[in-house]
Amino acid sequence: MKRKLSDAGDQPPVSTPKRRRTALEQSNGALNGLAPNALPNGDASYEVPPSERGQSTPKKTNGISATPLQQSGLKTPTQKSKARGLFATPTKPKSAVAATPSRVKNADRSARKKSARVLFEQDEDAAWDGSERLAEEILHGDEPGTEKAGQSLAESIEPEGAEEAPEKGVKQPKRRAGRPKGARNKRSPTPEGELPAHERYFFQNRAGPVKTSNATLNKVPLLTHEEYFEKLGQYEDPCKEEKEYLQSLHHRSFPQWAFEFDEGFNICLYGYGSKRKLMDEFAEWSYNYCSSATTTPIIVMVNGYTPGISIRSIFATIVTAVMGDDAPSKLGAQPTEVLELLQSALKSREDPVTVLINSIDAPPLRRAANQALLARLAATPRIRLLVTADTPNFPVMWDISLRDQLNFVFHDCTTFLPFSAEADVVEEVNALLGRKGRRVGGKDGVGFVLKSLPENARNLYRLLLTELITLLDDGHQSDDEGAAEGGGRAGDETGIEFRLLYQKATEEFVASSEMMFRTLLKEFHDHQMITSRMDASGMEILGVPLSRDEMEGVLEDLVLG
Amino acid sequence: MDTDGLNDALGLSNEKSQNLGAYIYQPPKHGKSAGERPSKRRKVSSTVDNDHQPERRRFVPLLNGDENVKSVQLRYDTYQELWSKQENKIQDILEDVDAGVLTNVLSFVRDTSPQTCDGCIPTALVTVGSNVSSLSRLLSRLNGQLILTEEGSVVVLESGDAPNLKTTLKNIIRATITNTDGNDGYQKFLTDRAGPRLLGYDLDLLHDYVQRKGTKKLVLALRDSEAFDPGLLTDLLSLFKSWLDRIPFTVLLGISTSVELFEGRLPRSCVALLRGKHFEVQEAGNCVDRIYETLQTDPGTNLWLGRNVTTTLFENTSDYFQSPEAFSRMVKYAYMSHFFANPLAVLLANPGPTSLTRNKLCEAVRNLPSFRMFCEDLVEEGSVKQVRDLLEDDEYLIQETPKYLDANQQRMRNMFQTVRVVHICLEYTQSAKKTNISDLSVRALSGELSESTILEEMVATAKTLDSDKLDELLVHLRGILVSPEADVIQEDLRTLLETCSESGPLRSGYNINSTVTKTTVVQQRIRLSKGQADISEQAVEYTNIVDRLVALLQVHLTESLINPQDLFLHEAFLFDLRNPLKETFAPRPRFAIERALATPFDYLLSSSDITMTKVSSKQPATAILYQLYLDSGALVNVHDLWQAFYGVFETEEADVCDDRVVMSLFYSALSELKAFGVIKNSRKKTDHLAKSAWMGL
Repeated sequence: MKRKLSDAGDQPPVSTPKRRRTALEQSNGALNGLAPNALPNGDASYEVPPSERGQSTPKKTNGISATPLQQSGLKTPTQKSKARGLFATPTKPKSAVAATPSRVKNADRSARKKSARVLFEQDEDAAWDGSERLAEEILHGDEPGTEKAGQSLAESIEPEGAEEAPEKGVKQPKRRAGRPKGARNKRSPTPEGELPAHERYFFQNRAGPVKTSNATLNKVPLLTHEEYFEKLGQYEDPCKEEKEYLQSLHHRSFPQWAFEFDEGFNICLYGYGSKRKLMDEFAEWSYNYCSSATTTPIIVMVNGYTPGISIRSIFATIVTAVMGDDAPSKLGAQPTEVLELLQSALKSREDPVTVLINSIDAPPLRRAANQALLARLAATPRIRLLVTADTPNFPVMWDISLRDQLNFVFHDCTTFLPFSAEADVVEEVNALLGRKGRRVGGKDGVGFVLKSLPENARNLYRLLLTELITLLDDGHQSDDEGAAEGGGRAGDETGIEFRLLYQKATEEFVASSEMMFRTLLKEFHDHQMITSRMDASGMEILGVPLSRDEMEGVLEDLVLG
Repeated sequence: MDTDGLNDALGLSNEKSQNLGAYIYQPPKHGKSAGERPSKRRKVSSTVDNDHQPERRRFVPLLNGDENVKSVQLRYDTYQELWSKQENKIQDILEDVDAGVLTNVLSFVRDTSPQTCDGCIPTALVTVGSNVSSLSRLLSRLNGQLILTEEGSVVVLESGDAPNLKTTLKNIIRATITNTDGNDGYQKFLTDRAGPRLLGYDLDLLHDYVQRKGTKKLVLALRDSEAFDPGLLTDLLSLFKSWLDRIPFTVLLGISTSVELFEGRLPRSCVALLRGKHFEVQEAGNCVDRIYETLQTDPGTNLWLGRNVTTTLFENTSDYFQSPEAFSRMVKYAYMSHFFANPLAVLLANPGPTSLTRNKLCEAVRNLPSFRMFCEDLVEEGSVKQVRDLLEDDEYLIQETPKYLDANQQRMRNMFQTVRVVHICLEYTQSAKKTNISDLSVRALSGELSESTILEEMVATAKTLDSDKLDELLVHLRGILVSPEADVIQEDLRTLLETCSESGPLRSGYNINSTVTKTTVVQQRIRLSKGQADISEQAVEYTNIVDRLVALLQVHLTESLINPQDLFLHEAFLFDLRNPLKETFAPRPRFAIERALATPFDYLLSSSDITMTKVSSKQPATAILYQLYLDSGALVNVHDLWQAFYGVFETEEADVCDDRVVMSLFYSALSELKAFGVIKNSRKKTDHLAKSAWMGL
């Protein structure tokens, strides 16, 4: 955007920072009055109703600090102008309603030009500071202002869409440049009338931007593991009785399941809720049901959700259960070997072996190869397989030949019980929200690990943090928009180049060789205290999965401790 | 707070077992966790059982638990008896179906050798299509045959066994040896050799084995050839080629698509190593039809599958490409359900009156809809006395039921015989599309066949058949259409044909060729009139025979094609519940989960009688979140979702609502939805989720 640099003489009247709003309007008026020639359509732009102006007032939360401005006052406006240039590309306002806001915007723009000029010529009379702040404010006022206008536009068209954006007490982050809003992109999550499911799918997935609010969870403190468990313990389930009744209904099918087992079927339980408890009860029931004076039934329990569980270990457990002390000490490394051993051992057996698998569709077992092996286990004579499946689409794991081998009968066992053992809830949610760093337990976790690490490692981490924070600070100055947007997880995006950090580390005598440097980093990697990624040019970028506040906290502890 | 309470609330047991991958179950020591239920169960069973049976009971007493032990046992025994009969029939059919391919493949394996194949590897390509299970049947029987004659053996290899060349070879060698010598034999074979110990994947081992055993044919069957890595397959085959002079390999490739497609995936150099023959396994559909026909129309059948079950069975077969085995398993399950859950099934055992739980069973019979209909019919006929006896006298009812049961079972048998008659007639009368027996059975079972257009057309076409075809038809019908009249007709036809054997086939008067259209001009108008062409005396006689046959058929059809639902006691010998079968074999887990979450009170029978349709904090957390999720767009702002979620709790229990507790509920709900794969992190905006599943799709 071009800026006229003439008319150096006209200055807006001095205003006190306390009365910003009135000062702003005054300054607008003054600018208009003094320099009508600077406006593209200056004559029309000032019949703006005060209410409209009120809407475009920037929020107080965007508090502008004057300090960085004085250091790089020249830099900021150019940056901003670029950003605005994108934003202001007037492609969208097409409806009649849009006329007023655009006029307002024109007025604003003229004021902004003036302000920019003020900031440009700041070096000439640097002593004056009030106008600077005002000019800053006008420049910033642009963004929320237009957004507000856009929003009010949207609101007038679709009140139901707007109401889904509760703004109470939440800082409305500034929009990043570039998304035009208008009647064309009108979008409401619930379409009019009863659409069939597939129509609704296309309705919700139609092209164009999605309208959701910009609220983020920054202000909401997230739960830690401890708090999660503590608070969940306090919750009293309103449906406790009903759930127990449901459980008792499933209980009544136990004899039926036993009969199905006897007739050579395997059983698969599905439906919402954790079925682990039901499995435990069935194990106990069938243990009592099948046990007689001479034999004790063999029941093997498998928890498919256990991370790192292998098919081989499952087979090996069954082999030990079947063969007892006769099991060879070396079972073989391949699961097929163990399976064949098991099959030959079962040939000489009369009694069935019951294998109960919790969550056969859990990620560790989900792979096709694993399922194929389990199917072969299921097809083995005298093996009875009772599995549970939790996800809605589990049957897609099995093609017809696997289905044939598995020979399942399916029962809906909806229990509504929480998946407390199956899922690491806090971790899952953090991953879902993109806060992976929480894995180490945030600041405390990192601090804890650091305490146990040698001096050198701590120094390296301190170095890394210092560099990152410096980078962040720089970033804040050059692009405060982006940094503020990134908010809590600025650390995720900011990173330092590997070479650079190595150089710094050698300078500070933290690491004398790259080998050593890498060893130190490996330790951090193991504790998930650093992130590493390749950037576009193939350089390794190191980062820390912590928010800025947390980084500062850790750094403080490091320096002080 | 105490940890016990917390663990109880979370459903976590105090043992560490939940964190173990796999472990051998040990029942808990009888403390508080033993629970009352199992012990209660044991108490009941001990009072009943301790008199005679040490063997455990498989069935649960029905009739509100009042059924006596004998009749429970009778139900089980009858099930075993009836099903084992049916299963044998199925096995026979399967063997018969496979027999053709088996002999072909077997003779191929026996007759070919590398010498006959110009030094290439002899290869049998077996296309199985959707009938995947047939190949394993085939292979195991082939294996049995070859081992029996000590010619060699079959090693079955699946794509899962072949991650890389070394493992594949190792698996082949081990499978070959364990196939004949067992696992111990393999271990012994590895250790008991002279010279340096060989590695597990050394084909020298196999060579050694072949020499020791004198194996003439070593068939290596790849069950799912398409799933093998082509590179690996190439390596494997070239290796076999180089060992072919020492180990007599024959490769058998199971192909689900087509030979051309399979060949296209392999490099030419590899294809050049193979020389073989193509075999085709019969499609599953025919086989399933045959099984069904045998099960239903066999004169020894006592229990039939109703219309709903039949449609479900065939739906599943066509929708899921079920194998014949899977089909017969479903039928088995239908039998199981009938005997497990229907107390009237005991009647099929022809029990002596003593072994029954008399009064309860009578009550059950009297509550049958078919009993009611039967009584109404009797009253209309005027036998009020009999109805009164049936209603009031248990003794009389118990005496009468077996009679009616037998009679009605006989009528079912007749019905299915008639279905077969119709089927055979249709073979001769339908020209284009053939109606298969399952379609006819479904119609017959719903009582629609006797009035259907198929029958009308059939009768109409039957009239026009010429004498040769009719003769053939009658030969086919013999033994199925049992009536003296049919024999007489056939006799007459024979004698007629003998008298005029030289003049070619006779045509009946209904045949289109024997009517002529006369065109006459009367008072300058054209009048068309049809009239019988002059037909020979034999033809007249033949027409007469045809008329008699058609009349016989029509009487037979109307007599025996009854609606089974009208028969008294059909509940005992006709299994027609769609549901256990459908849900058990074709589950809709996604629907179940969606339903549980969208309307949780379908499952949770609310004791408080508020039927809540709206989202409320009384529902499980995940259900609340899911319903909010359903209302949202393709992109969901987590913060807003959280606000809405919190709002649900806030509005209803404003005073006792701890937002951190709600937050923890929110967490667990969110993680569950993520585990179900309906949401994922979106990179489009901060703190947004992308919706990835739509309800009801």
